[in-house]
Amino acid sequence: MPILQRKNPVDLSFSLITAFASFTVVLLISGIFVVLVRESSLSIGKFGVLKFLTSTEWNPVTESFGAATAIYGTFITTGIALIIAIPAAIGIAVFITEISPNFLKAPIGVAIELLAAIPSIIYGMWGLFTLAPIMSRYIEPALKSSIGKVPLLGTLFQGTPMGIDILTASVILSIMIIPFTASIARDAFNLTPAVVKESAYSVGATKWEVVKDVVLPYSKLGVFGGIALSLGRALGETMAVAFVLGNNHQITSSLLNAAATITVTLANEFTEADTDMYLSSLFYLALVLFVLSFIVLAIAKYFLLRAERKYSR
Amino acid sequence: MNVEEKRKFESLVALSLSTLAAIFGLFWLVFILGDVLIHGMSALKLSLFTHDPTPPGVTGGGLRNAFMGQLLITVVATLIGVPVGVLGGTFLAEYARGTRIAQLVSILSDIMVSVPSIVIGTFIYAILVKPVGHFNGWAGSVALAVIMIPVVLRTTEDMLSLVPWTLREAAFALGAPYYKVITQVVYRGAATGILTGILLSIARVAGETAPLLFTSFNNSFFSTEMKGPIASLTVSIFQYAMGPYDEWHQQAWAASFMITAVILVITILGRLIIRWRYK
Repeated sequence: MPILQRKNPVDLSFSLITAFASFTVVLLISGIFVVLVRESSLSIGKFGVLKFLTSTEWNPVTESFGAATAIYGTFITTGIALIIAIPAAIGIAVFITEISPNFLKAPIGVAIELLAAIPSIIYGMWGLFTLAPIMSRYIEPALKSSIGKVPLLGTLFQGTPMGIDILTASVILSIMIIPFTASIARDAFNLTPAVVKESAYSVGATKWEVVKDVVLPYSKLGVFGGIALSLGRALGETMAVAFVLGNNHQITSSLLNAAATITVTLANEFTEADTDMYLSSLFYLALVLFVLSFIVLAIAKYFLLRAERKYSR
Repeated sequence: MNVEEKRKFESLVALSLSTLAAIFGLFWLVFILGDVLIHGMSALKLSLFTHDPTPPGVTGGGLRNAFMGQLLITVVATLIGVPVGVLGGTFLAEYARGTRIAQLVSILSDIMVSVPSIVIGTFIYAILVKPVGHFNGWAGSVALAVIMIPVVLRTTEDMLSLVPWTLREAAFALGAPYYKVITQVVYRGAATGILTGILLSIARVAGETAPLLFTSFNNSFFSTEMKGPIASLTVSIFQYAMGPYDEWHQQAWAASFMITAVILVITILGRLIIRWRYK
């Protein structure tokens, strides 16, 4: 079937309209990149690439801007969120595919996916009014008096537990990304052929050995894809962390301190930027985030496509 | 303990941990939804829907402006996003089926679905707010439409691909040109799926806050003027929750309850339709 139908004029125009509509996606992605580069040209000209990415100074008064603190905040919250979310998500996927009785599979799957449907601003508000007080009153003091006393790990839990800090933001972020990883991992697990699993059972493997030695190796591409996808989501999450991170530009070793991510900086400062250089630097931050998440999401898509090809063979 | 017992014990431990993980996930869902329900229900008043915000300290205000603004922005976004998405998906699944172009656009759309929404907000600010000189409702709608397009496009493509090719061949055999086959045969076969996809995409953008912060901004007065800044529920929740007044916090909870309820109902409805239609 040729792409453009030349025989019939109505058909030709309809195919052209649809072609243009699908091309808007390409147009939008390249448009975002070009516009962000253009808007941040002032800042790129002054700070360059390497200096902007490594400078820890973020000072609107002296118009000296660097992205290092925001990038650090983005990576550390995302990293901790993934450390919490990955085991939980894989556990959930194992439960749904291998353990749960049949009548529970669908309801639990839907319930976990509903977690993904809750708007991020609800997570943020719940985090501010409900989770942050719990963290500062119970969980953080407990962590401080237990792990905080261990020599090396102790540096992670220095300072006063305020609830508005990296740890709280990471916990909220992890709750948000669990559903993405869990549902992709579940789909990947489900694609393991029953015959392969049954042959493992028939030689006397336990359920856990089947999961560990048959299902996980078979579906690892899909699981990697799911993890990369949640990483991409977590990097760009704004409202869930905006409430509880404190927007404080600093690099800190303690998880009980406030910090800033790229997204939180944008949300808090974009409408307040009063000079061209300030605004341009914020656009530069947005550009960094766009490129970063584009690369991560492209890697995720690559894994998922490879997984798809492998299974369809 | 011999080897067999050790293996059985290991299995038991691992499976118990997985079960705990599932309980962990469900725990958060119940915790968050329960919290929003309890706080929201107690703060829900009729005045929330019938009154505009009052100055801080004056009691009795509502969020009528934000409900109206949210509705306007979402409806306009749907009117822009849905036609572009459906037509674009049609191209990928029909005219360009199986070509490299279709594959590339499909992959780019998948990436675009997860591009940080705040980045889209800054992009729209640069092209629709900065040149005009002030925040406006149109910019907010376009920002949401940009988020919507790839979602609708991909679902349309998937749903059209599910329609058997032989059905199209039957129509071709009667001498129908391709556009007639698409509009009268393929769309009918995939209508439920596409409509469900549209529903889910509306649920997705209705809860977006970040792209509205720098586009439609906020407005403490009732306004249906898309040329100026316009209030939305999500941005109002952000502003009220971060504010110092207890009355604001109450209203933010009530608004959160409303928005969560609407989005969850749409999402569950969408899933039920898919299950009912495709299984």
